[in-house]
Amino acid sequence: MFTSAFAATMTAVDEPTVEDPGGFFGALADGAEYFIALFQAGGDFFLALVTGILPLLIVLLTAVNALVRLIGPERIEKLGAAAARPGIVWYPVRYLVLPVLAVFFFTNPMAYTMGRFLPERFKPAFYDSAVSFVHPITGLFPHANPAELFVYLGIAAGITQLGLPLGDLAIRYLLVGMVVILLRGILTEFITARLMARRTAQEGASA
Amino acid sequence: MSTSTTKKSGFDSFNSVLVTLGRGVGGVVNTFYQAGRDTIETIIRNILPFMAFISVIVGIITKTGIGDALAHLIEPLAGSLVGLLGISIFCAIPILSPVLGPGAVIAQIVGVLLGTRIAEGDIDPQYALPALFAINPQVGCDFIPVGLALGEAEPETVEVGVPAVLFSRLITGPISVVIAYFASFGLYAGA
Repeated sequence: MFTSAFAATMTAVDEPTVEDPGGFFGALADGAEYFIALFQAGGDFFLALVTGILPLLIVLLTAVNALVRLIGPERIEKLGAAAARPGIVWYPVRYLVLPVLAVFFFTNPMAYTMGRFLPERFKPAFYDSAVSFVHPITGLFPHANPAELFVYLGIAAGITQLGLPLGDLAIRYLLVGMVVILLRGILTEFITARLMARRTAQEGASA
Repeated sequence: MSTSTTKKSGFDSFNSVLVTLGRGVGGVVNTFYQAGRDTIETIIRNILPFMAFISVIVGIITKTGIGDALAHLIEPLAGSLVGLLGISIFCAIPILSPVLGPGAVIAQIVGVLLGTRIAEGDIDPQYALPALFAINPQVGCDFIPVGLALGEAEPETVEVGVPAVLFSRLITGPISVVIAYFASFGLYAGA
């Protein structure tokens, strides 16, 4: 979209209506035109973003914000207490269900407050898991992290310009994101446990 | 007498239905209105400023030809699994990841750059998915102490948690790219 407007400015530059001034002032004028053209290209890009992305985003954000308000974040907090339990069954709850719901309902950065329901040894893993989800979620639910949309939107804009649908990419981004946060949670919990054990062993040795 | 009381109670119950209905509808309308207000505030405070910022960068990069130079640099990296793994490992290096993290600014700029390359057909659209994960292993690495503090973690947990998360990224970053690579089979296959 912005390339066509960009091409239009190019042709406008190619067809001068008055004779070009030569010499020093000519060079100055060329420089000025080049300078303005830099920002003209940026402006066209901005316009494409505002007309292409904002309308959908505003309506979607409003709908999801309303949904979050209607359901109420306090219900999610109850789940946080349950996720602290030991056992392999609770891994997906701790590092998949809880982070996904936390990011959806509390959004970045308030989602990390859900860590307070977990014992200390799970907190780094939960943070890792939750923070890794703040980008994959933006494909479908941009309300969760509006300040960092362009990680996804930047690449998505390229797909759109090719005339390809985005739904497939957004849903795969979300699903792979879920697998990754679960893995990250489990691995970080393991590393945290190792580091904590080493630290207590050192303290025991020095005491 | 009796008829008048039933009439009155019938009117009362009808009245209470009206009140409940009015309150419910009012609540829903108010919720949506407030949600709209939140949305516009988010757009003005977070999204539009970033769009302006990205536009300036993209304008300069495309018009000066830096974009093409960068493209030649990025293309071989972003167009193959090995290259994407390289990017993800680079982003996950424990010293670099907290530097690359803040505001996801670098990830967002690289995202936009890759997007323009995909649009021009230099990079296969199928690589969009693994690329999204390749530019992201550093997510939140600048924010670990704050994020843990939000979760009311003890200072001892923060001391252990920071290296734990950073080392974990070095392993899970490349793994996430591989998972995304295999998950991208069949994505835009017809194109």
